[in-house]
Amino acid sequence: MQQMKRLLVVYVALQALFALSWCFSDAEPGPAAGSQSNGDRFKIEGRAIVPGVKTQDWISTARILVEGEEYVGFLKTDGSFAVNDVPSGSYVVEIVSPSFRFDPVRVDITSKGKMRARLVNYIKTSEVIRQPYPLQIRSSGPHTYFMKRETWGWTDFLMNPMVMMMVLPLLIIVLLPKVVNTNDPEMRKEMEQSMNMLNPNPELPDVSEFMTKLFSKGSSKSSGGNKGSRSVAPKRR
Amino acid sequence: MAWLVVRLAISVSLLYTASAVFEDQVGKFDWRQQFIGKVRFALFDTHSQASKKLLVATDKNVFASLNSRTGDLFWRHVDKIGPEGHIDALLMYGQDAVVVTGNGRLLRSWETTVGGLKWETVLDTGRLFMLFCVNIRINWCIKLTVSTFDHSFQAAALVGVQDFVKYVAVLKKSAISLHDLSSGSQIWVENLPDSDTVQYQTIYSGGNGLVFVFGVVPNSHIVIVEYKIEDGEIMRKKSVEAAWMSSLESSCTVISSGILLCVDQITQSLYTLQLQSAEQTEIRQIHLQTLDLEVASGFQPVLTSTQPNPAQPPLSEFFLQLSPDHHILLQLKDGLIAPLRDFNPSYLAAFATSGERTVAAVMSPKNDTACSINLFSADTGRRHLDTTIIYHMDPNGGKPNRLYVHAFLKKDDSVGYRVMVQTEDLTLTFLQQPGRVVWVREEALADVVTMEMVDLPFTGTQAELEGEFGKKADGLLPMVLKRLSSQFILLQAWLAHLWKLFYDARKPRSSVKNEVTIDTLSRDEFNLQKMMVMVTASGKLFGIDSKSGTILWKQYLENIQPDSVFKLIVQRTTAHFPHPPQCTLLIKNKDTGLGNLYVFNPIFGKKSQISVPALPRPVLQTLLLPVIDQDYAKVLLLIDDQYKVTAFPSTKNVLQQLQDTASSIFFYLVDSSQGKLSGFRLRKDLSTELIWEVVIPTEVQKIVAIKGKRANEHVHSQGRVMGDRSVLYKYLNPNLLAVITESTDTHQERSFVGIFLIDGVTGRIVHEAVQRKARGPVHFVHSENWMVYVYWNSKFRRNEFSVLELFEGAELYNSTVFSSLDRPHPPQVLQQSYIFPAPISTLEATLTEKGITSRHLLVGLPSGNILSLPKMFLDPRRPEVVSEQSREENLIPYAPEMPIREEWFINYNQTVSRIRGIHTAPSGLESTCLVVAYGLDIYQTRVFPSKQFDVLKDDYDYVLISSVLFGLFFATMISKRLAEVKLLNRAWR
Repeated sequence: MQQMKRLLVVYVALQALFALSWCFSDAEPGPAAGSQSNGDRFKIEGRAIVPGVKTQDWISTARILVEGEEYVGFLKTDGSFAVNDVPSGSYVVEIVSPSFRFDPVRVDITSKGKMRARLVNYIKTSEVIRQPYPLQIRSSGPHTYFMKRETWGWTDFLMNPMVMMMVLPLLIIVLLPKVVNTNDPEMRKEMEQSMNMLNPNPELPDVSEFMTKLFSKGSSKSSGGNKGSRSVAPKRR
Repeated sequence: MAWLVVRLAISVSLLYTASAVFEDQVGKFDWRQQFIGKVRFALFDTHSQASKKLLVATDKNVFASLNSRTGDLFWRHVDKIGPEGHIDALLMYGQDAVVVTGNGRLLRSWETTVGGLKWETVLDTGRLFMLFCVNIRINWCIKLTVSTFDHSFQAAALVGVQDFVKYVAVLKKSAISLHDLSSGSQIWVENLPDSDTVQYQTIYSGGNGLVFVFGVVPNSHIVIVEYKIEDGEIMRKKSVEAAWMSSLESSCTVISSGILLCVDQITQSLYTLQLQSAEQTEIRQIHLQTLDLEVASGFQPVLTSTQPNPAQPPLSEFFLQLSPDHHILLQLKDGLIAPLRDFNPSYLAAFATSGERTVAAVMSPKNDTACSINLFSADTGRRHLDTTIIYHMDPNGGKPNRLYVHAFLKKDDSVGYRVMVQTEDLTLTFLQQPGRVVWVREEALADVVTMEMVDLPFTGTQAELEGEFGKKADGLLPMVLKRLSSQFILLQAWLAHLWKLFYDARKPRSSVKNEVTIDTLSRDEFNLQKMMVMVTASGKLFGIDSKSGTILWKQYLENIQPDSVFKLIVQRTTAHFPHPPQCTLLIKNKDTGLGNLYVFNPIFGKKSQISVPALPRPVLQTLLLPVIDQDYAKVLLLIDDQYKVTAFPSTKNVLQQLQDTASSIFFYLVDSSQGKLSGFRLRKDLSTELIWEVVIPTEVQKIVAIKGKRANEHVHSQGRVMGDRSVLYKYLNPNLLAVITESTDTHQERSFVGIFLIDGVTGRIVHEAVQRKARGPVHFVHSENWMVYVYWNSKFRRNEFSVLELFEGAELYNSTVFSSLDRPHPPQVLQQSYIFPAPISTLEATLTEKGITSRHLLVGLPSGNILSLPKMFLDPRRPEVVSEQSREENLIPYAPEMPIREEWFINYNQTVSRIRGIHTAPSGLESTCLVVAYGLDIYQTRVFPSKQFDVLKDDYDYVLISSVLFGLFFATMISKRLAEVKLLNRAWR
């Protein structure tokens, strides 16, 4: 019995040297809960959830990729998954599905098989924002692969700056004389005064007047320009 | 200011919408074809009569379910590449399929209707030895663990107890384990006795509560171990003398109620052994001569038996294959073997079971081009009437080599069947009675090695028109007449087209088929439709229409070594009517380096009659010269291992031209094993002289990749206009080679990736860069004046993009012509790196006709998506601090992380599994680049890196523009009328 014990001690000591030897890690007293170790290979476990969608509708096209295609896992019918035979290290675990978007998670595995999941941050790689382990990966919705077509709507047309620039002055010209009572002599005087203020040189020929003269000669021919000439018409009065 | 706003708006819109797909464009100009690879196991779902499932496992580590009526995929699971994902066995029971993966590492059970995993267990047989370890001496313990670590997979079988299949047994080299079929839990695991001397190879269970394991000591004896199913206790172990035996696999099988049957070619005998009787310890020998049979010399005879239900013993009938085209159906009855039916000649034979009836299907040759498949009842060997299926062999394909039979019971209780035939060239053909081909899958396309896109030829009328310009002028009047006649032909063609449109419009939409055949092929207006010539690893060539994905021709090249290297060269395009286009395929044996040339017409797939030079020596390098012979074929130079050059074609004209231009023909050779790069120049007598040599010491780093620029690439602008209106000229060296090296030291602190830019003519190292703490695999693109490469940053564990751009500076040394020999100033090199937040499978750049369109990088991701990343993001001049000038230049401010937007995935949800290469080709439209991604799947699409600026967009609003036009028209009419009335009124006033 005594000899047996001594042998055991020697054995354990030697085993410590073979820290990565497969038979040791099985005898290891406490690998983290949930991580079954197989030699120096470990198992990444988790579950994928797509809210509101039955698992059988999407699991057949989905895969779990660990660090690219270095390790591959598949989804079970209940949405859980396990990737076997992963040695210790730090990996980005990603659920790849053509229909749903999942955020990747970084999983760190120590040489003793302790697992930790955290957010992926490629810029500050050492930053740790803990995620639950075994992984709980919730889909953030379906992929948005497509651009929206620019549809033509009246609001888009009216909100166009060019249209606004054309329409607003037109409205002012047409509506203002109606809102302001032009028959009121006081108001007319006031307006004339303000016009004179704006136009200090009354001798200068008015551009609008010049244009109307030009167009009224061949008024029957000009078509598109009519809009412009009509818009200045009330001003002339 | 407004101008600036507009420009900014344009650039922003470019940024956000470039190369996106609109939902209504789905399937409009893109298509995807999914493949599975060479089938290794195929099982029909016989669970229910109406089931359409066909489960397949392939050599590409794919496990899939096919619809047996259409050949489409229900679902497909793609495992890891290499031995770790290798599928060792596929068993099926009911709705579940059990798969052993990774050399017996994993046992998986799949729910076949959904395509999801039911359970997965690790087959770990190491545990048992640990118990010994603690008790016994340490030295021995370690030795033991090492020796038993090799538990490679041998066999797997379903085990049934009392007509009910409950377990699956897995045999490995040194252990056997039994697992529960519904949960995967391990019932027991046992070591095999004397596993270091005995090779255990097969397993058998006949439903009587026992599992038999057969092992062999070559040329000595057979070992049979009997395990009890409940607890794995060894019931009996016996060894039987069998000096003739070398391997159990394929030469032995179990038939009837537990009789081991073996065949041996040397002794020309069959051997039987009663498994359960304790008395028989001698194996019984039956000479084949007594049955009037003989095994063909040099042929390993094959025994095939069938066990319809794993819970019951197998049938007593079996097939014996005596030569490649001779099968015989035999029966064991009362200890005697009697032939039931002799099938001579016959290529393939297979059993199938439906309900209680087992049938045998045999394929025999009918004539040179067809085979007939017949059904025979297994227990009597009698032929079933009216069960012949005629299978027509493809004259350009290979021989059939696998037969999978699906038998079913018809309503009148007779047995009907369908067959799936796999040929050498990996074509799967599914046939139904009486010889109707239900579907065909070309699985060779799962492994495309290289491809080219060839322009389609002109139609007769188009060619006629072209011919008009080609000919010499012969007087005014004939020219006018010719012109008129060709215009008349065009008019005719147009009218015919209109008539066809009208005719088709009357028919319902579904019945109008736009079938593409080889005869109707012609170039379209914008040269968007091309012929995709694909070379596959199995040696089968395909011509595929890029618009529809239809296979227009296929050609199987026989006698291709499995790991040959292929290089496809387009020697003559379709532009030289009436000379046919010409493609040359160089097939090189990987080990010996010996090559041979296969010349064919890429449009019709026919082998060309041109005499091909013999290549007696290994080919080191090929070089396609811009020199053309009198038939407009570009000259191909092949350099052998003695640096002698062979020209193809080697007419007098060509040799003369080569002599004239020899002094300006340079080529390079790479010897990655010695780390040597060398440059050679052609001499007039077609020998070569060494010009330069660069040695990269192999102790430190090894050359992993080398790439020049693409020959058909155009660069539109020679420089870039800077913010201050000066020009930064690009360093456009067409002879520049990009060489990538990786360090031999793989420690993550010391590993590095090296980049060399070497001038291929002078050997001058133009630029050298080292990326520390980085390792491969390196993917890179070398084009114009830039190079983009991706590596793995082992310190931060992320992928990084790095871009190198070369500029001459503010002045060009010689703006008219570039000469490598006369460039005194080294270029300015700018570099910037970015983080790429995803792994990468492959990298390629878009290519357009004239190079005006901005470039995009196409990044293949392991998820199967192809990301179209604007080159704008990979610009080493991206400023860290935004200035007025950088804004003027539209430079995006530097950000370390590269964005990945889902809108940039050009293949939306049509993912391409295991994407291995992307081929880009220009189209006739400057805005459009044709893209083909290949891997396990093939995906073809078009990309518009700067949007469609040269054609009207798909969503061009014809209704709006015409309604506005009409509106304006009527408005003018009305206003004219109103103006007249007003004038009249005024005149009256």
